[in-house]
Amino acid sequence: MSTNENPSKKPGQVETTGHVWDSNLQEYNNPLPRWWLWGFYATVVFALVYWVLYPAWPVGGSFTKGVNTITFMQDGEEVTTHWNTRSLFAREMQSGKQAVRQREMLEQVGAMEYETLLADVEAMSFVNAYAKGAFGTWCAACHQTGGGGVIGQYPNLRDDHWLWGGTTERIEETLVLGRNGYMPAYRESLDGQQLEQVASYVLSLNGFAMNDTDVAAGGEIFNGYLGGCYQCHGADAAGLDSQGAPNLSNNIWGLVDVPGAANDEERVARVARFVHQGVQRQMPAFADRLSPTEIRVLTAYVHSLGGGQ
Amino acid sequence: MSQTAATAGSVPASTAVPSEQYNYEIVKKFSIAAVIWGVLGMAAGVWIASQLAWPFLNFDIAQITFGRFRPVHTTLVIFGFGGNALFATSYYIIQRTCQTRLYSDRLSLFTFYGWNLALILGVFTYMAGITQGREYAEFNWQIDILIAITWIVYFWVFLMTLLRRSQPHIYVANWFFMAFILATALLHIFNNLQVPLSLTSPHSYSLFSGVQDAMTQWWYGHNAVGFFLTAAFLGMMYYFVPKQAGRPIYSYKLSIIHFWALVFLYMWVGAHHLHWTALPDWVSTLAATFSILLLLPSWGGMINGIMTLSGAWDKLRTDPIMLFLITALSFYGMSTFEGPMMSLKSVNALSHYTDWTVGHVHSGALGWVAMITFGSLYHLIPRLWNTKIYSLRLIYIHFFLATIGIVLYIVSMWVAGIGQGLMLRAFDEYGNLAYTFTESVVFLHKPYMVRAIGGGFFLLGMLIMAFNVAMTILTAKRTVPVADESRATAASAS
Repeated sequence: MSTNENPSKKPGQVETTGHVWDSNLQEYNNPLPRWWLWGFYATVVFALVYWVLYPAWPVGGSFTKGVNTITFMQDGEEVTTHWNTRSLFAREMQSGKQAVRQREMLEQVGAMEYETLLADVEAMSFVNAYAKGAFGTWCAACHQTGGGGVIGQYPNLRDDHWLWGGTTERIEETLVLGRNGYMPAYRESLDGQQLEQVASYVLSLNGFAMNDTDVAAGGEIFNGYLGGCYQCHGADAAGLDSQGAPNLSNNIWGLVDVPGAANDEERVARVARFVHQGVQRQMPAFADRLSPTEIRVLTAYVHSLGGGQ
Repeated sequence: MSQTAATAGSVPASTAVPSEQYNYEIVKKFSIAAVIWGVLGMAAGVWIASQLAWPFLNFDIAQITFGRFRPVHTTLVIFGFGGNALFATSYYIIQRTCQTRLYSDRLSLFTFYGWNLALILGVFTYMAGITQGREYAEFNWQIDILIAITWIVYFWVFLMTLLRRSQPHIYVANWFFMAFILATALLHIFNNLQVPLSLTSPHSYSLFSGVQDAMTQWWYGHNAVGFFLTAAFLGMMYYFVPKQAGRPIYSYKLSIIHFWALVFLYMWVGAHHLHWTALPDWVSTLAATFSILLLLPSWGGMINGIMTLSGAWDKLRTDPIMLFLITALSFYGMSTFEGPMMSLKSVNALSHYTDWTVGHVHSGALGWVAMITFGSLYHLIPRLWNTKIYSLRLIYIHFFLATIGIVLYIVSMWVAGIGQGLMLRAFDEYGNLAYTFTESVVFLHKPYMVRAIGGGFFLLGMLIMAFNVAMTILTAKRTVPVADESRATAASAS
């Protein structure tokens, strides 16, 4: 505020307008501060320059285009047009430094076989960097940042326990086609005691010391006509990844929180309740949402997380 | 004040007691409503700010989640606190500067009930999930009609009072109020052109679609800032700053020039809220350049206010009301500089969709709008009730709490917004985006906590004000029978 430099502007030495309102409201008639006026003119000049350079004023059905231009590729031909945000975006994606670098890397990785890709430190460094964003955008909502999953809901991708197979081919298939996980509910076919017997049997396979009679009865249900569990989970409960049926003998629990239970009674109750309800869950197909290269990158990333086969 | 008291003799001094000559009852009603809505609206703000920092505060109750409570907050602080304060001060100022009573007591009373009924209905409909989905215009169509009628009556009362003035010239504050009332009527009506689903349904479709709809919304949204939150509060400033300082306005010429520049330029700039969208590029250019052109006209009001005090700076040491008014003008100057900068497309590419925008709005809303209102109400309320303020000390405490609150709020939102903007555009060595959206959310947690605390300070100040105002009114009611006559004449002479 350097407006006080001119002594004629000092309050008290300048005439008021002569009007008085509400007994004492008056107005000096100081001139406009010079810096204010020149500042305003400067913004006018700024605006005028801007209007000359860029699209600005509507004229009839069109508008002034401005003298700035953009050159970019369209349908294989070089096109030069007036500056506009759509062409700016096209040019940025075609020749921007970051876009070019990322495209080169994607092309390089997209052309590599999984085996060479997984062994290439530099390529995997790119895969990890790219997948961080892609996984965060597409996968983390369910599988969580880092792929740890949620017990009872979404599979953990960081361990070497695979529902649908952990080879690169199977992971890619999972991403492209999606998966439908399904286990029937047994509330109709098994009664409460039978559910507990099956639960005891399954827990015994995982090293828990259970009641022998229950385990024997449960085993019969599991491997017999009544339960038929073996049809998906296999006779030794080792799982069947073509069905997405997990191994039930490795003490890894994706859907039932057995490790969180306090005692055997609660463990049995939790497993029995799960068998009673069954489960249906779905992983969406990404074939239409991600490019083959992006799927390749994500496959390599998931494979490298903890236990690719 | 002695030098001006002499000139005051040229105006025929009224012999009537102000409370009879003027309609103070309506001003009192609106003042109290402003304070009550202020407490509620700011509490709602602190609540939703806390929810953003600590999401468990949702408690899984739909009615109080951020999505429904945010319009409750914005509506109550803008239209409840700000709106009632504008009704109060405009009705007060126009009567005092036109030396005439309001055109109609009944119609002005209608504006009080119409306006506040709309606010109450708004709160409950938002919480019930009924919204038009237009920012700052979430009221459903039936409430829109109530507001439109109320506003037209307001316009009529103001205009007719102005025409009955016994002063030849119209005081500058009234130009700003008139511009505010006219523009708000225009904005409200055109932005709320809706096709109702049926006469009984609260829901409706916008008459416009696509980019036209977005432009209408932001033409409204930005001019709500321009005419409601800027021009109208400049009207407040042009009365209370010279009154409180006891000095003439710095420059009549500046007030004319910046008034016309402001009202002409503001109408063009709303589209800067839609940079880098489906908006045509030429619209973006006009919005950006007109925003830059608006910078100095906006500052005209700040210069006029601050320079009015020039030569009486010592008042800042002894007068907490002056502190409020001058701090408000400083924040006004700051946010009207920040705004044009953010409207440049290159800056906007960083700031848009981040909390920088939220911080910017609040440096205007808390720093300018609320501070100038606090100062004005502290000046106004003792005069309305013909008494002295209950505690000057509490005004000081309010001032410092509010200032600390604003600083915490703005700084945390700069950190949040600029950090968020930089994270979302950062690349790694391979040309990939370096951060996920989730990481930017994780980053926001700490600034959000600071923001909620800053809001808490501001709310605490507001509560102290409510207490101070309540005690002032109660004290006045107890002492009035004795002191009425003498105080009234003293007030009219001051």
